[in-house]
Amino acid sequence: MAVIDVAGLTKRYGDHTVLDGVSFSVEQGEIFGLLGPNGTGKTTTVECVEGLRRPDGGTIRVLGLDPIGDGRALRERIGVQLQHTQLPENIKVWEALDLYASFYAEPRDWRELLEQWGLAGKRGARFGKLSGGQKQRLFIALALVGNPKVAFLDELTSGLDPQARRATWELIKQVRASGVTVVLVSHFMDEVEELCDRVAVFDRGGIVATGSPAELIDGVDAEHQMRFTLMAGDASDPIALLSGLPGISGVTRDGDRVSVTGRGDFATAVTSALARDLIPVADLRIDKRTLDDAFTALTGRSFHL
Amino acid sequence: MTVITKLTTVELKLLAREPGSIFTILIPLFILVVFGSSIPPGDTVLLPMTLAIAVGLVGLYQLPTTLATYRERGILRRLSTTPVRPGSMLAVQLILQLVLALTACALLIAVAGAVLGAHLPSQALPVAAVFLLGTAAMFAIGLLIAAVAANGRTANGVGVLLYFPLAYLAGLMQPVDQMPDILARIGAFTPLGAFRQALHDVWAGLSPDPPLLGVMAAYAVIVSLAAARFFRWE
Repeated sequence: MAVIDVAGLTKRYGDHTVLDGVSFSVEQGEIFGLLGPNGTGKTTTVECVEGLRRPDGGTIRVLGLDPIGDGRALRERIGVQLQHTQLPENIKVWEALDLYASFYAEPRDWRELLEQWGLAGKRGARFGKLSGGQKQRLFIALALVGNPKVAFLDELTSGLDPQARRATWELIKQVRASGVTVVLVSHFMDEVEELCDRVAVFDRGGIVATGSPAELIDGVDAEHQMRFTLMAGDASDPIALLSGLPGISGVTRDGDRVSVTGRGDFATAVTSALARDLIPVADLRIDKRTLDDAFTALTGRSFHL
Repeated sequence: MTVITKLTTVELKLLAREPGSIFTILIPLFILVVFGSSIPPGDTVLLPMTLAIAVGLVGLYQLPTTLATYRERGILRRLSTTPVRPGSMLAVQLILQLVLALTACALLIAVAGAVLGAHLPSQALPVAAVFLLGTAAMFAIGLLIAAVAANGRTANGVGVLLYFPLAYLAGLMQPVDQMPDILARIGAFTPLGAFRQALHDVWAGLSPDPPLLGVMAAYAVIVSLAAARFFRWE
Protein backbone atom coordinates (compact mmCIF):
# COMPACT_ATOMS: atom_id res chain seq x y z
CA MET A 1 0.00 0.00 0.00
CA ALA A 2 1.20 3.48 -0.82
CA VAL A 3 2.34 5.55 2.13
CA ILE A 4 1.63 8.79 0.27
CA ASP A 5 -0.97 9.25 -2.42
CA VAL A 6 -1.28 12.56 -4.20
CA ALA A 7 -3.81 13.02 -6.99
CA GLY A 8 -4.47 16.15 -9.02
CA LEU A 9 -2.82 18.51 -6.53
CA THR A 10 -3.29 22.14 -7.55
CA LYS A 11 -1.94 25.21 -5.81
CA ARG A 12 -2.27 28.83 -6.87
CA TYR A 13 -0.88 32.02 -5.41
CA GLY A 14 -3.11 34.75 -6.75
CA ASP A 15 -3.14 34.39 -10.54
CA HIS A 16 0.01 32.31 -10.55
CA THR A 17 -0.52 28.55 -10.73
CA VAL A 18 2.41 26.89 -8.99
CA LEU A 19 1.15 23.32 -9.17
CA ASP A 20 -1.22 22.17 -11.86
CA GLY A 21 -2.54 18.67 -11.26
CA VAL A 22 0.43 16.98 -9.58
CA SER A 23 0.01 13.23 -8.94
CA PHE A 24 2.40 10.67 -7.49
CA SER A 25 2.57 7.97 -4.86
CA VAL A 26 5.29 6.90 -2.49
CA GLU A 27 5.68 3.30 -1.41
CA GLN A 28 6.50 2.00 2.06
CA GLY A 29 10.24 1.95 2.83
CA GLU A 30 11.55 3.74 -0.24
CA ILE A 31 13.48 6.95 -0.66
CA PHE A 32 11.38 9.03 -2.99
CA GLY A 33 12.92 12.10 -4.55
CA LEU A 34 11.34 15.31 -5.73
CA LEU A 35 13.90 16.65 -8.18
CA GLY A 36 13.91 19.87 -10.14
CA PRO A 37 15.37 23.35 -10.34
CA ASN A 38 14.42 25.91 -7.72
CA GLY A 39 11.02 27.47 -8.24
CA THR A 40 9.32 24.47 -9.84
CA GLY A 41 6.99 23.70 -6.94
CA LYS A 42 8.82 20.85 -5.16
CA THR A 43 8.75 22.54 -1.79
CA THR A 44 5.16 23.69 -2.23
CA THR A 45 4.24 20.07 -3.01
CA VAL A 46 5.85 18.63 0.14
CA GLU A 47 4.43 21.43 2.24
CA CYS A 48 0.94 20.52 1.03
CA VAL A 49 1.69 16.86 1.83
CA GLU A 50 2.93 17.83 5.32
CA GLY A 51 -0.22 19.87 5.95
CA LEU A 52 1.65 23.19 6.12
CA ARG A 53 -0.20 24.54 3.09
CA ARG A 54 -3.78 24.11 2.02
CA PRO A 55 -4.11 22.86 -1.56
CA ASP A 56 -6.55 24.56 -3.95
CA GLY A 57 -7.50 21.25 -5.53
CA GLY A 58 -6.80 17.52 -5.58
CA THR A 59 -6.59 14.91 -2.86
CA ILE A 60 -3.69 13.97 -0.59
CA ARG A 61 -3.47 10.97 1.70
CA VAL A 62 -0.48 10.33 3.92
CA LEU A 63 -0.59 7.05 5.89
CA GLY A 64 -4.29 7.12 5.04
CA LEU A 65 -4.74 10.54 6.67
CA ASP A 66 -5.81 13.88 5.22
CA PRO A 67 -3.04 16.41 6.02
CA ILE A 68 -5.56 19.20 6.70
CA GLY A 69 -8.46 17.31 8.31
CA ASP A 70 -6.36 14.82 10.31
CA GLY A 71 -3.41 17.14 10.85
CA ARG A 72 -2.88 16.39 14.52
CA ALA A 73 -2.79 12.62 13.99
CA LEU A 74 -0.56 13.00 10.93
CA ARG A 75 2.00 15.25 12.62
CA GLU A 76 2.42 12.57 15.30
CA ARG A 77 3.60 10.16 12.56
CA ILE A 78 5.81 12.29 10.33
CA GLY A 79 9.15 14.00 10.80
CA VAL A 80 10.06 17.14 8.90
CA GLN A 81 13.27 18.96 8.12
CA LEU A 82 12.41 22.30 6.54
CA GLN A 83 14.58 24.42 4.30
CA HIS A 84 15.64 27.78 5.78
CA THR A 85 14.69 27.12 9.38
CA GLN A 86 16.90 27.76 12.35
CA LEU A 87 16.74 27.18 16.07
CA PRO A 88 17.26 29.83 18.75
CA GLU A 89 20.97 30.76 18.83
CA ASN A 90 21.33 29.91 22.51
CA ILE A 91 19.55 26.56 22.70
CA LYS A 92 21.87 23.64 23.45
CA VAL A 93 21.90 20.55 21.23
CA TRP A 94 20.56 18.25 23.94
CA GLU A 95 17.88 20.75 24.95
CA ALA A 96 16.55 20.95 21.40
CA LEU A 97 16.38 17.15 21.07
CA ASP A 98 14.87 16.71 24.53
CA LEU A 99 12.27 19.43 23.81
CA TYR A 100 11.26 18.04 20.41
CA ALA A 101 11.09 14.50 21.85
CA SER A 102 8.55 15.77 24.39
CA PHE A 103 6.21 16.83 21.54
CA TYR A 104 5.51 13.22 20.52
CA ALA A 105 3.59 10.39 22.17
CA GLU A 106 6.24 7.72 21.45
CA PRO A 107 9.55 9.47 20.81
CA ARG A 108 12.88 7.81 20.16
CA ASP A 109 15.62 7.99 22.75
CA TRP A 110 17.34 11.19 21.67
CA ARG A 111 20.65 10.06 23.17
CA GLU A 112 20.83 7.32 20.53
CA LEU A 113 20.21 9.88 17.80
CA LEU A 114 22.94 12.05 19.27
CA GLU A 115 25.38 9.14 18.88
CA GLN A 116 24.12 8.02 15.49
CA TRP A 117 24.35 11.49 13.97
CA GLY A 118 27.79 12.18 15.43
CA LEU A 119 26.65 14.91 17.77
CA ALA A 120 27.53 13.28 21.08
CA GLY A 121 30.56 15.55 21.42
CA LYS A 122 28.37 18.60 20.82
CA ARG A 123 25.68 17.65 23.31
CA GLY A 124 26.11 20.78 25.43
CA ALA A 125 27.04 23.15 22.56
CA ARG A 126 24.78 26.04 21.66
CA PHE A 127 23.08 25.94 18.27
CA GLY A 128 24.72 29.20 17.19
CA LYS A 129 28.20 27.69 17.70
CA LEU A 130 27.64 24.64 15.48
CA SER A 131 29.14 24.27 12.00
CA GLY A 132 26.84 24.04 8.97
CA GLY A 133 27.18 20.27 8.85
CA GLN A 134 26.48 19.87 12.56
CA LYS A 135 23.37 22.06 12.29
CA GLN A 136 22.14 20.01 9.37
CA ARG A 137 22.68 16.74 11.25
CA LEU A 138 20.81 18.18 14.22
CA PHE A 139 17.87 19.11 11.99
CA ILE A 140 17.75 15.57 10.62
CA ALA A 141 17.96 14.14 14.15
CA LEU A 142 15.07 16.45 15.15
CA ALA A 143 13.06 15.18 12.19
CA LEU A 144 13.58 11.60 13.41
CA VAL A 145 13.17 12.08 17.16
CA GLY A 146 9.39 11.59 17.05
CA ASN A 147 9.90 8.07 15.68
CA PRO A 148 8.17 8.91 12.38
CA LYS A 149 6.84 6.54 9.71
CA VAL A 150 7.72 9.09 7.03
CA ALA A 151 10.55 11.63 7.09
CA PHE A 152 10.52 14.67 4.82
CA LEU A 153 13.94 16.14 4.14
CA ASP A 154 14.13 19.37 2.14
CA GLU A 155 17.53 20.18 0.58
CA LEU A 156 19.30 18.26 3.27
CA THR A 157 22.84 18.71 2.00
CA SER A 158 22.72 22.37 0.93
CA GLY A 159 25.81 24.16 2.11
CA LEU A 160 27.69 21.00 3.10
CA ASP A 161 31.17 20.17 1.87
CA PRO A 162 31.53 17.06 -0.35
CA GLN A 163 32.75 14.84 2.46
CA ALA A 164 29.90 15.84 4.77
CA ARG A 165 27.42 15.25 1.94
CA ARG A 166 28.69 11.69 1.41
CA ALA A 167 28.50 11.01 5.13
CA THR A 168 24.94 12.36 5.24
CA TRP A 169 23.93 10.14 2.32
CA GLU A 170 25.16 7.06 4.17
CA LEU A 171 23.09 8.00 7.20
CA ILE A 172 19.99 8.54 5.07
CA LYS A 173 20.42 5.03 3.69
CA GLN A 174 20.49 3.80 7.29
CA VAL A 175 17.25 5.64 7.92
CA ARG A 176 15.66 3.76 5.03
CA ALA A 177 17.12 0.49 6.31
CA SER A 178 15.38 1.11 9.63
CA GLY A 179 12.04 1.06 7.79
CA VAL A 180 11.31 4.78 7.60
CA THR A 181 9.98 6.02 4.28
CA VAL A 182 11.96 9.07 3.17
CA VAL A 183 10.77 11.89 0.92
CA LEU A 184 13.74 13.86 -0.31
CA VAL A 185 13.47 17.27 -1.95
CA SER A 186 16.61 18.11 -3.86
CA HIS A 187 18.02 20.06 -6.73
CA PHE A 188 21.20 17.98 -6.70
CA MET A 189 21.26 15.36 -9.46
CA ASP A 190 24.07 13.33 -7.89
CA GLU A 191 22.26 13.16 -4.56
CA VAL A 192 19.05 11.91 -6.12
CA GLU A 193 20.89 9.41 -8.31
CA GLU A 194 22.78 8.08 -5.31
CA LEU A 195 19.92 7.88 -2.83
CA CYS A 196 16.52 7.66 -4.43
CA ASP A 197 14.66 4.48 -5.30
CA ARG A 198 12.24 6.54 -7.35
CA VAL A 199 12.12 10.15 -8.45
CA ALA A 200 9.49 12.62 -9.60
CA VAL A 201 11.08 15.16 -11.93
CA PHE A 202 9.61 18.65 -11.59
CA ASP A 203 9.52 21.38 -14.14
CA ARG A 204 7.38 24.52 -14.03
CA GLY A 205 3.89 23.62 -12.88
CA GLY A 206 4.39 20.00 -12.02
CA ILE A 207 5.86 16.57 -12.61
CA VAL A 208 7.20 15.73 -16.06
CA ALA A 209 8.32 12.16 -15.35
CA THR A 210 8.41 9.59 -12.55
CA GLY A 211 10.57 6.50 -12.25
CA SER A 212 13.78 5.10 -10.83
CA PRO A 213 16.90 7.12 -11.73
CA ALA A 214 18.02 4.27 -14.05
CA GLU A 215 14.63 4.17 -15.81
CA LEU A 216 14.64 7.91 -16.30
CA ILE A 217 18.16 7.85 -17.73
CA ASP A 218 17.45 4.86 -20.00
CA GLY A 219 14.17 6.38 -21.08
CA VAL A 220 15.73 9.38 -22.73
CA ASP A 221 17.23 9.28 -26.14
CA ALA A 222 19.87 11.90 -25.47
CA GLU A 223 23.03 12.22 -27.52
CA HIS A 224 26.12 10.96 -25.79
CA GLN A 225 29.67 10.13 -26.69
CA MET A 226 32.07 7.24 -26.82
CA ARG A 227 35.81 7.62 -27.25
CA PHE A 228 38.65 5.31 -28.12
CA THR A 229 42.26 5.40 -29.25
CA LEU A 230 43.44 3.60 -32.40
CA MET A 231 46.35 1.27 -31.87
CA ALA A 232 49.62 2.71 -33.10
CA GLY A 233 50.55 1.84 -36.67
CA ASP A 234 47.05 0.95 -37.72
CA ALA A 235 46.47 2.70 -41.00
CA SER A 236 42.74 2.03 -41.28
CA ASP A 237 40.42 5.00 -41.21
CA PRO A 238 37.36 4.34 -39.05
CA ILE A 239 35.56 7.57 -39.90
CA ALA A 240 34.03 6.35 -43.14
CA LEU A 241 33.23 3.00 -41.55
CA LEU A 242 31.44 4.45 -38.52
CA SER A 243 29.67 7.47 -40.01
CA GLY A 244 27.25 5.25 -41.90
CA LEU A 245 26.12 3.28 -38.83
CA PRO A 246 22.57 3.81 -37.49
CA GLY A 247 22.18 6.25 -34.58
CA ILE A 248 25.48 8.01 -35.14
CA SER A 249 25.44 11.74 -35.67
CA GLY A 250 29.13 12.55 -35.73
CA VAL A 251 32.63 11.05 -35.81
CA THR A 252 35.74 13.15 -35.25
CA ARG A 253 39.35 12.09 -35.28
CA ASP A 254 42.28 13.86 -33.68
CA GLY A 255 45.42 11.86 -34.40
CA ASP A 256 44.83 8.42 -32.88
CA ARG A 257 41.93 9.55 -30.80
CA VAL A 258 38.44 9.04 -32.14
CA SER A 259 35.23 10.39 -30.66
CA VAL A 260 31.77 9.21 -31.75
CA THR A 261 28.51 10.97 -30.92
CA GLY A 262 25.17 9.25 -31.22
CA ARG A 263 21.85 8.25 -29.75
CA GLY A 264 20.39 5.06 -28.34
CA ASP A 265 22.51 1.91 -28.30
CA PHE A 266 24.97 3.13 -30.90
CA ALA A 267 27.92 1.95 -28.82
CA THR A 268 27.12 -1.70 -29.58
CA ALA A 269 26.97 -0.93 -33.29
CA VAL A 270 30.36 0.79 -33.09
CA THR A 271 32.12 -1.98 -31.18
CA SER A 272 30.76 -4.73 -33.44
CA ALA A 273 31.77 -2.77 -36.56
CA LEU A 274 35.29 -2.34 -35.17
CA ALA A 275 35.47 -6.02 -34.33
CA ARG A 276 34.20 -7.10 -37.75
CA ASP A 277 36.85 -5.07 -39.54
CA LEU A 278 39.50 -6.22 -37.04
CA ILE A 279 40.39 -2.68 -36.01
CA PRO A 280 42.07 -2.88 -32.61
CA VAL A 281 41.40 0.00 -30.25
CA ALA A 282 42.37 0.94 -26.72
CA ASP A 283 40.97 3.16 -23.94
CA LEU A 284 37.40 2.60 -25.02
CA ARG A 285 35.12 4.78 -22.94
CA ILE A 286 31.40 5.44 -23.11
CA ASP A 287 30.27 8.59 -21.35
CA LYS A 288 27.82 7.76 -18.64
CA ARG A 289 24.45 9.36 -19.17
CA THR A 290 23.12 11.12 -16.10
CA LEU A 291 19.89 12.47 -14.73
CA ASP A 292 21.11 15.80 -16.07
CA ASP A 293 20.72 14.48 -19.60
CA ALA A 294 17.37 12.98 -18.67
CA PHE A 295 16.17 16.34 -17.36
CA THR A 296 17.30 18.20 -20.45
CA ALA A 297 15.59 15.67 -22.68
CA LEU A 298 12.36 15.76 -20.64
CA THR A 299 12.03 19.51 -20.41
CA GLY A 300 13.92 20.78 -23.41
CA ARG A 301 16.08 23.01 -21.27
CA SER A 302 19.19 22.73 -19.22
CA PHE A 303 18.73 21.93 -15.54
CA HIS A 304 21.04 24.65 -14.30
CA LEU A 305 19.20 27.60 -15.76
CA MET B 1 6.79 16.45 32.19
CA THR B 2 4.12 17.86 29.96
CA VAL B 3 4.98 19.61 26.72
CA ILE B 4 4.07 23.03 28.10
CA THR B 5 6.26 22.59 31.18
CA LYS B 6 9.18 21.49 29.03
CA LEU B 7 8.64 24.31 26.56
CA THR B 8 8.43 26.80 29.42
CA THR B 9 11.62 25.44 31.02
CA VAL B 10 13.60 25.67 27.79
CA GLU B 11 12.25 29.11 26.89
CA LEU B 12 13.01 30.35 30.41
CA LYS B 13 16.61 29.20 30.03
CA LEU B 14 16.80 30.95 26.65
CA LEU B 15 15.37 34.14 28.15
CA ALA B 16 17.97 34.02 30.93
CA ARG B 17 20.76 33.57 28.33
CA GLU B 18 19.52 36.59 26.39
CA PRO B 19 21.47 39.77 27.21
CA GLY B 20 18.42 41.87 26.26
CA SER B 21 16.37 40.54 29.16
CA ILE B 22 19.17 41.34 31.62
CA PHE B 23 19.26 44.94 30.30
CA THR B 24 15.49 45.17 30.60
CA ILE B 25 15.89 44.50 34.30
CA LEU B 26 19.04 46.58 34.81
CA ILE B 27 18.12 49.81 32.96
CA PRO B 28 15.13 50.81 35.17
CA LEU B 29 17.05 49.65 38.25
CA PHE B 30 19.98 51.87 37.26
CA ILE B 31 17.65 54.87 36.78
CA LEU B 32 16.05 54.18 40.15
CA VAL B 33 19.37 54.01 41.97
CA VAL B 34 20.91 57.05 40.23
CA PHE B 35 17.94 59.35 40.84
CA GLY B 36 16.91 57.60 44.05
CA SER B 37 19.71 59.15 46.05
CA SER B 38 18.04 62.57 45.84
CA ILE B 39 14.40 61.68 46.52
CA PRO B 40 12.66 62.75 49.71
CA PRO B 41 11.53 59.90 52.01
CA GLY B 42 8.08 58.68 51.11
CA ASP B 43 8.48 59.76 47.46
CA THR B 44 5.59 58.65 45.22
CA VAL B 45 6.96 59.74 41.83
CA LEU B 46 10.21 57.97 41.00
CA LEU B 47 9.20 54.35 41.66
CA PRO B 48 6.04 54.45 39.48
CA MET B 49 8.17 56.01 36.73
CA THR B 50 10.74 53.21 36.81
CA LEU B 51 7.99 50.58 36.95
CA ALA B 52 6.47 52.09 33.79
CA ILE B 53 9.91 52.11 32.14
CA ALA B 54 10.42 48.43 32.98
CA VAL B 55 7.04 47.35 31.61
CA GLY B 56 7.52 49.61 28.57
CA LEU B 57 10.89 48.02 27.76
CA VAL B 58 9.53 44.48 28.03
CA GLY B 59 6.43 45.27 25.95
CA LEU B 60 8.01 47.43 23.26
CA TYR B 61 11.45 45.87 22.98
CA GLN B 62 11.80 42.39 24.46
CA LEU B 63 8.47 40.82 23.45
CA PRO B 64 8.31 41.93 19.80
CA THR B 65 12.00 41.24 19.16
CA THR B 66 11.71 37.69 20.51
CA LEU B 67 8.55 36.83 18.60
CA ALA B 68 9.62 38.40 15.31
CA THR B 69 12.98 36.62 15.55
CA TYR B 70 11.21 33.31 16.15
CA ARG B 71 9.10 33.83 13.07
CA GLU B 72 12.08 35.02 11.01
CA ARG B 73 14.10 31.93 11.96
CA GLY B 74 11.22 29.64 11.02
CA ILE B 75 10.91 28.36 14.59
CA LEU B 76 7.13 28.84 14.67
CA ARG B 77 6.85 27.20 11.27
CA ARG B 78 8.99 24.24 12.32
CA LEU B 79 6.76 23.82 15.37
CA SER B 80 3.68 23.67 13.19
CA THR B 81 5.02 20.43 11.64
CA THR B 82 4.96 18.76 15.07
CA PRO B 83 1.95 17.71 17.17
CA VAL B 84 2.46 20.92 19.18
CA ARG B 85 0.68 24.00 17.90
CA PRO B 86 2.83 27.12 17.45
CA GLY B 87 0.17 28.92 19.51
CA SER B 88 1.56 27.11 22.56
CA MET B 89 4.89 28.81 21.95
CA LEU B 90 3.13 32.18 21.74
CA ALA B 91 1.33 31.53 25.02
CA VAL B 92 4.53 30.41 26.75
CA GLN B 93 6.36 33.51 25.48
CA LEU B 94 3.62 35.84 26.73
CA ILE B 95 3.70 34.23 30.16
CA LEU B 96 7.49 34.40 30.35
CA GLN B 97 7.60 38.04 29.25
CA LEU B 98 5.01 38.77 31.93
CA VAL B 99 7.26 36.98 34.42
CA LEU B 100 10.16 39.12 33.20
CA ALA B 101 8.14 42.33 33.73
CA LEU B 102 7.04 41.11 37.16
CA THR B 103 10.62 40.24 38.13
CA ALA B 104 11.88 43.66 37.04
CA CYS B 105 9.08 45.40 38.97
CA ALA B 106 9.50 43.26 42.09
CA LEU B 107 13.21 44.07 42.10
CA LEU B 108 12.49 47.80 41.71
CA ILE B 109 9.94 47.78 44.52
CA ALA B 110 12.28 45.83 46.80
CA VAL B 111 15.24 48.16 46.18
CA ALA B 112 13.10 51.32 46.37
CA GLY B 113 11.41 50.23 49.60
CA ALA B 114 14.36 48.70 51.41
CA VAL B 115 17.22 50.94 50.31
CA LEU B 116 15.79 54.26 49.15
CA GLY B 117 12.89 54.62 51.55
CA ALA B 118 10.39 55.34 48.78
CA HIS B 119 6.68 55.09 49.48
CA LEU B 120 5.05 51.71 48.94
CA PRO B 121 1.28 51.56 48.45
CA SER B 122 -0.70 49.85 51.18
CA GLN B 123 -3.45 48.45 49.00
CA ALA B 124 -2.42 45.60 46.74
CA LEU B 125 -5.59 45.28 44.66
CA PRO B 126 -5.55 48.65 42.84
CA VAL B 127 -1.81 48.22 42.21
CA ALA B 128 -2.36 44.79 40.72
CA ALA B 129 -5.26 46.03 38.57
CA VAL B 130 -3.27 48.98 37.21
CA PHE B 131 -0.22 46.79 36.63
CA LEU B 132 -2.22 44.19 34.69
CA LEU B 133 -4.04 46.77 32.56
CA GLY B 134 -0.86 48.71 31.78
CA THR B 135 1.08 45.53 31.00
CA ALA B 136 -1.75 44.29 28.76
CA ALA B 137 -1.72 47.60 26.85
CA MET B 138 2.08 47.58 26.38
CA PHE B 139 2.13 43.87 25.43
CA ALA B 140 -0.63 44.50 22.89
CA ILE B 141 1.60 47.08 21.20
CA GLY B 142 4.51 44.64 21.33
CA LEU B 143 2.36 41.96 19.69
CA LEU B 144 1.33 44.37 16.95
CA ILE B 145 5.00 45.21 16.26
CA ALA B 146 5.79 41.49 16.15
CA ALA B 147 2.85 40.96 13.81
CA VAL B 148 3.84 43.54 11.21
CA ALA B 149 7.66 43.59 11.45
CA ALA B 150 9.39 41.56 8.74
CA ASN B 151 12.12 40.30 11.04
CA GLY B 152 13.69 40.56 14.47
CA ARG B 153 15.87 43.52 13.58
CA THR B 154 12.95 45.54 12.26
CA ALA B 155 10.89 44.67 15.32
CA ASN B 156 13.76 45.77 17.52
CA GLY B 157 14.15 49.04 15.61
CA VAL B 158 10.43 49.83 15.63
CA GLY B 159 10.26 49.05 19.34
CA VAL B 160 13.14 51.36 20.19
CA LEU B 161 11.78 54.06 17.87
CA LEU B 162 8.36 53.89 19.52
CA TYR B 163 9.77 53.71 23.02
CA PHE B 164 11.34 57.18 23.09
CA PRO B 165 8.34 59.32 22.03
CA LEU B 166 6.01 57.20 24.16
CA ALA B 167 8.32 57.50 27.16
CA TYR B 168 8.58 61.26 26.62
CA LEU B 169 4.82 61.74 26.35
CA ALA B 170 4.37 59.52 29.40
CA GLY B 171 6.54 61.88 31.44
CA LEU B 172 9.33 59.34 31.83
CA MET B 173 12.01 61.65 30.40
CA GLN B 174 11.01 64.72 32.35
CA PRO B 175 8.25 65.15 34.94
CA VAL B 176 4.85 65.99 33.44
CA ASP B 177 4.60 69.33 35.31
CA GLN B 178 7.68 70.53 33.41
CA MET B 179 6.29 69.47 30.05
CA PRO B 180 4.28 71.72 27.71
CA ASP B 181 0.67 71.46 28.81
CA ILE B 182 -0.60 70.18 25.48
CA LEU B 183 1.98 67.34 25.39
CA ALA B 184 1.19 66.35 28.96
CA ARG B 185 -2.51 66.16 28.04
CA ILE B 186 -1.80 64.09 24.95
CA GLY B 187 0.41 61.90 27.14
CA ALA B 188 -2.54 60.86 29.28
CA PHE B 189 -4.07 59.25 26.18
CA THR B 190 -0.98 57.19 25.39
CA PRO B 191 -0.77 53.69 26.91
CA LEU B 192 2.47 54.34 28.75
CA GLY B 193 1.31 57.78 29.92
CA ALA B 194 -1.98 56.42 31.27
CA PHE B 195 -0.06 53.62 32.95
CA ARG B 196 2.46 55.96 34.60
CA GLN B 197 -0.27 58.35 35.76
CA ALA B 198 -2.48 55.54 37.10
CA LEU B 199 0.49 54.04 38.98
CA HIS B 200 1.30 57.45 40.38
CA ASP B 201 -2.33 57.85 41.55
CA VAL B 202 -2.43 54.55 43.42
CA TRP B 203 1.00 55.29 44.87
CA ALA B 204 -0.30 58.60 46.20
CA GLY B 205 -3.17 56.74 47.86
CA LEU B 206 -5.79 57.93 45.37
CA SER B 207 -8.02 55.56 43.48
CA PRO B 208 -6.97 55.43 39.81
CA ASP B 209 -8.80 57.73 37.46
CA PRO B 210 -11.38 55.67 35.46
CA PRO B 211 -10.53 57.40 32.13
CA LEU B 212 -6.90 56.29 32.55
CA LEU B 213 -8.01 52.71 33.13
CA GLY B 214 -10.29 53.06 30.11
CA VAL B 215 -7.41 54.26 27.94
CA MET B 216 -5.27 51.26 28.93
CA ALA B 217 -8.12 48.78 28.45
CA ALA B 218 -8.93 50.26 25.05
CA TYR B 219 -5.32 49.93 23.87
CA ALA B 220 -5.14 46.40 25.24
CA VAL B 221 -8.26 45.24 23.40
CA ILE B 222 -8.08 47.19 20.13
CA VAL B 223 -4.34 46.79 19.53
CA SER B 224 -4.46 43.06 20.43
CA LEU B 225 -7.23 42.55 17.91
CA ALA B 226 -5.19 44.36 15.27
CA ALA B 227 -2.17 42.20 16.18
CA ALA B 228 -4.24 39.03 15.87
CA ARG B 229 -5.57 40.26 12.53
CA PHE B 230 -2.11 40.91 11.06
CA PHE B 231 -0.13 38.13 12.73
CA ARG B 232 1.61 35.70 10.37
CA TRP B 233 3.18 32.42 11.44
CA GLU B 234 5.77 32.63 8.67
